[in-house]
Amino acid sequence: MSRLSAAMLLAVPAIAIGGLLAYVRSPHVTNQAHPVEQPIEFDHRHHAGDEQIDCRYCHWTVEKSPSAGIPSTTVCMSCHAQVWNKSPYLTEVRKAFFADQPIPWVRVHNLPDFVYFNHSIHVGKGVGCATCHGRVDQMGAIEQSAPLTMSWCLDCHRNPGPNLRPQEFITSMTWAPPAEKAEAAALAEKLSKEYDVHSRTSCSTCHR
Amino acid sequence: MNTKPDSAPAQDTPSSFALPVVSGRNEAAPHAHAHDDVVNEALEHASTRAVAAEGSYGKTYWLGLEEKLATPEFLEETRPEFPVGADLPPTGFARREFMQLLGASLALAGATACSTRPQDERMVAYTKTPPEVVPGNPLHYASGMTLGGHTSGLLITAREGRPVKIEGNPQHPINQGAAGIFEQAFLLSLYDPQRARVLRQGNNPRSLRVLAEDISTLVSQKAVADGGSRLRFLTEPISSPMLRDVTGRIQKKLPNARFHAFASLSGTAAAEANRALFGQPVQALHDLTRADIIVSLDADFLESRPENLAVSRQFGDRRDPKNGELNRLYVAESRMSITGGMADHRLRVKSAEILGIAAALAQAVGGPAASLGAAASGKAGTVRPEVSSWVQAVAQDLKSKAGRSVVLAGERQPAAVHALAQAINAALGNVGTTVKVVPAAAPEASGLAEISALVADIKAGKVDTLVITATNPVYALPVDAGLAEVLDPKQNANRKALSVLYAGHYEDETSKFADWFVPLAHQLETWSDGRAVDGTVSIAQPLIQPLFNGVPEAELYALFLDEPFRPAYQILRDYWTAQGGEAGRADFETRWETWVSEGVVPGSIAAALTATPDTGAANALVAAYQPPAAGELEINFVHDYKVLDGRFANNAWLQELPDPITKIVWENAAILSPATAKRLGLENGHLAELEYGGRKLQVPVTILPGNADDTVTVALGYGRTGLHEVVAKGVGFNANQLRTVNAPWFDGGARLTKVRGSHTFARTQYHWRMEGRPLALDMSVSELAHPSKETEHVLERVQGELKLGKQNNLPDFDYAKTPAEGYKWGMSIDLSRCTGCNACVVACQAENNIPVVGKEQVGRGREMAWLRIDRYFQGDENNPAMVMQPVACVHCEKAPCEYVCPVNATVHSDEGLNDMVYNRCIGTRYCSNNCPYKVRRFNYLHYTQGKTPTEKMLMNPDVTVRNRGVMEKCTYCVQRIERVRINARVEKRLIQEKELQTACQQTCPTQAIAFGSLADPAQRVTQLHEDERAYRLLHELGTRPRTAHLIRLRNPNPALVAAAPAESAPAHEGGH
Repeated sequence: MSRLSAAMLLAVPAIAIGGLLAYVRSPHVTNQAHPVEQPIEFDHRHHAGDEQIDCRYCHWTVEKSPSAGIPSTTVCMSCHAQVWNKSPYLTEVRKAFFADQPIPWVRVHNLPDFVYFNHSIHVGKGVGCATCHGRVDQMGAIEQSAPLTMSWCLDCHRNPGPNLRPQEFITSMTWAPPAEKAEAAALAEKLSKEYDVHSRTSCSTCHR
Repeated sequence: MNTKPDSAPAQDTPSSFALPVVSGRNEAAPHAHAHDDVVNEALEHASTRAVAAEGSYGKTYWLGLEEKLATPEFLEETRPEFPVGADLPPTGFARREFMQLLGASLALAGATACSTRPQDERMVAYTKTPPEVVPGNPLHYASGMTLGGHTSGLLITAREGRPVKIEGNPQHPINQGAAGIFEQAFLLSLYDPQRARVLRQGNNPRSLRVLAEDISTLVSQKAVADGGSRLRFLTEPISSPMLRDVTGRIQKKLPNARFHAFASLSGTAAAEANRALFGQPVQALHDLTRADIIVSLDADFLESRPENLAVSRQFGDRRDPKNGELNRLYVAESRMSITGGMADHRLRVKSAEILGIAAALAQAVGGPAASLGAAASGKAGTVRPEVSSWVQAVAQDLKSKAGRSVVLAGERQPAAVHALAQAINAALGNVGTTVKVVPAAAPEASGLAEISALVADIKAGKVDTLVITATNPVYALPVDAGLAEVLDPKQNANRKALSVLYAGHYEDETSKFADWFVPLAHQLETWSDGRAVDGTVSIAQPLIQPLFNGVPEAELYALFLDEPFRPAYQILRDYWTAQGGEAGRADFETRWETWVSEGVVPGSIAAALTATPDTGAANALVAAYQPPAAGELEINFVHDYKVLDGRFANNAWLQELPDPITKIVWENAAILSPATAKRLGLENGHLAELEYGGRKLQVPVTILPGNADDTVTVALGYGRTGLHEVVAKGVGFNANQLRTVNAPWFDGGARLTKVRGSHTFARTQYHWRMEGRPLALDMSVSELAHPSKETEHVLERVQGELKLGKQNNLPDFDYAKTPAEGYKWGMSIDLSRCTGCNACVVACQAENNIPVVGKEQVGRGREMAWLRIDRYFQGDENNPAMVMQPVACVHCEKAPCEYVCPVNATVHSDEGLNDMVYNRCIGTRYCSNNCPYKVRRFNYLHYTQGKTPTEKMLMNPDVTVRNRGVMEKCTYCVQRIERVRINARVEKRLIQEKELQTACQQTCPTQAIAFGSLADPAQRVTQLHEDERAYRLLHELGTRPRTAHLIRLRNPNPALVAAAPAESAPAHEGGH
């Protein structure tokens, strides 16, 4: 009896702490796998998937700014003034455009305010869109696919090689590293050298 | 916590080693006598030790008088790192004041407290992204700030349409990239939620259209009736070509209307003298690059606008021995000024004695100046023998460098002194080399005489409409100027016959008397232009739509033209289009684009005039000189270093900035010299009644070494009573209440008598002190070249090899993982160049979202400024020399803070930065306790809470806004490093030296601060690190700072050093 209670005495807190640690990393807390309803039913499956529009057509600041940019309504209308220009799906977009009122999109990927993420450097060094954002071309409503926890960031910052891809595939949704392990490692090394990629783990890299 | 006895030093901080008994005074407290003995014993112990330790360094530096005198009060109060009660929350009235200060709305507090991951955050994209905007990247716009009729060229950083940082325009010949404290704090005034918003007639809100119709009727009636002979304008001095054109056209339409210019800024005496001497409105411009000898006759030229930024740069360059022989600065002045602190020889005299000095100097220099000098010396009376010998030595030096010297007359000095200075410069052949005259940017007279003329007209019933656009004249004028009386219905029976329109940024003392009040648009909200002191025209473009419905000044004036409405942009463009004539119209568009983007109109610099001064006029000026009253104390009115004439009083950044000399924040004081204070029986913090000209004012007293004896110095700009100016309200006392039109700057006959009560100043001076070690070093050029034994000892201590094990006992940081670029960030601060002007402190505040905490919090030692400027005195306590030393985090190679943080919230980066990670910090404050430099700042309260929406727009989005309970400190502007690093790496190149500047370095008028990578031997910072003057603060601790300070050099005149042996002897003055 006493042995059991002693074990319990150790196990209960250990399980509780372990459980808590597991819980805060769970998709429930990190907001993963939780499609977010948007004011307009925009479907990436259609735009990025079927139509194969490059990510950078709409998110055009991704290569030169910390922010990838939420497309302005003008970007929507650059196509939809011509195609589907009578579609009832797009009534709200047209309304917003002609009233010069912004569309209040709901943020999906939300880092804490003390984290300074910069898209341009990641894209510039060969980290593809899909690496962090997942298969956007398969999402009806955008959801957060990566945990966006600090340990997840650091995994890559400590060893960026495996997450690099050639620049020509940077926005590709389907590119995958070579299945062969040695080949993948060789590619990682080649790209690291070519793009001058190295581990950056100083706190001020992200926290300022 | 509240049970802690008020008088006890904070027990949670380690007490001093030198004073083991003082912290134990609590135990001794019940036995009063025993306690006294214990304290005295401890003090004696401390003072004997202090002498032994300090004497060996030859010189003793001390922060303020109490420290120097080692009074018991001082030793007890300042021993702990944080002053008594630093960890207590504000209570009672103080708390209310604190809340008021922050404009706190507590309702917001609950909403923001809980989560870092809001579930439903909205992202609002542009409907049409403006073509120049890349969301996330900053844009820079050239613009300008007009102050007292001179326009500074600015370069303003905007983030998604909101300006967040003001810097000097590098292409502007006066600014050259630098910006003073006023330019930078201009940004805060843009977002000030207390700015006026309502256009009103009496107490009724009105639309601009109603006002326009009213003015239109008025103008058309007047134009027909009498040409506007009963219409008066009271404006700031106008240098803007556009506004001059508009007012000129008003004058054409209403030929009998009169414009009076007034700015309470000094400089009117110089203008008056120049007008008389040259027969036209001219402005003297100085070129210190060619001046080997500079003599300032009470001129605070390193700080007084409008020329200060350009002159500071030139002066600083000549204080670096690498650029050739050092210049030599002589200053004769009454109060300790920033310029006086830079002097190689400073003479402490009353302001009234300056004329005598100028006269003696003119006579000694001889030539054509001698006769004028003789005439003036007759007026000034005899000079004291010690002054006379000083003057002879200065004159000798001047004559040896004829043509390569300059004499500057003080802004507060009468026209006669300016005439004498001009004559001396002419006699020495300096005119054309170190000093030249150019047409004045704002030619109209703008002195108190203009006000007197206006008031006389109103009293005579010659005025029925008065339009005031000058900044708050009712407050800024001397008490007997009479404007307030004629505007006040209670004092002027005929007030009903006068209609007053006042246009201002605040509901202030003047708006109280206005029949119509028009809220003006901030200069960053509207299009305008303006001339700098050298004639350079800047086009000042708006950065944002008017936040509070302000009316642009140009549009307000244009109402009096009774023409169809044109926006300010159109008025400006129409004016400049017309300037080019027919030929210019063709390519106007291209030229305009260039002017706006570069911020300066090329070729607008004024050409130097060759006019010769009229000697008769000079004699007349001297003859017209009226000596001030003699006897009792001489009262000196000066513009405040932080709020100027009161126009910046509602600016919390400036209010919280420590005065560069007294280090007092949030108020002014009556400043006395130690000897005078002793004679009058006054001490720091005593209250006294200041009586002058039959008027009395109760003032708190502070003692400042270096003030002239028998003078009392009071700063203007405080004691504001503006209706909605909450920040300014009740701060300090209003010295204008003693000032008179006849003696606006100084006069004899003031009396100071002690009254009951005491006053507590909040200063940044006594805490954060460094305990009597060789910190801010200065020495003469010859001493550095041929060091004496004592100097060698000091140099060994601050530059010598560190002994392993003894001073080098922390483990090395492993830089093996440093990326290939291998940047090693480092900074250097040249004390030879630093004047202590505070520009860097404001730059840091703006760049790094540093909160303002209020007087009460500063009094508890909770000021948040990351960068502080320590001001040390040295030598004779009545007549000391001064050294300024900016100190921020020095980013130690072996940082003591890093080893004590229990949560790794402060860690070393692979490029040598000492990173501060706010989200890890749990607020133990161990790091601050262990920091030998005392540069860490702790958020005792939630200082950033409750900001209004406009105030939030001010924040730099690249820097975290810190929460309560978090430590913070200088980061070497890591957000700037990372931004340029990312740009450089995306472009696959290394960071260039010129693209990366810290905020403090960028704005420094004298270029005292350099920053860069020490790995690159070509960079300026690396070369300065290897300079023979470079040393490390508290080198002997083995912290190996990445910031190097450079020894300040003095260039004394051997003739004067021999005459005054007391200055150079290794005194033991620390001993009493």
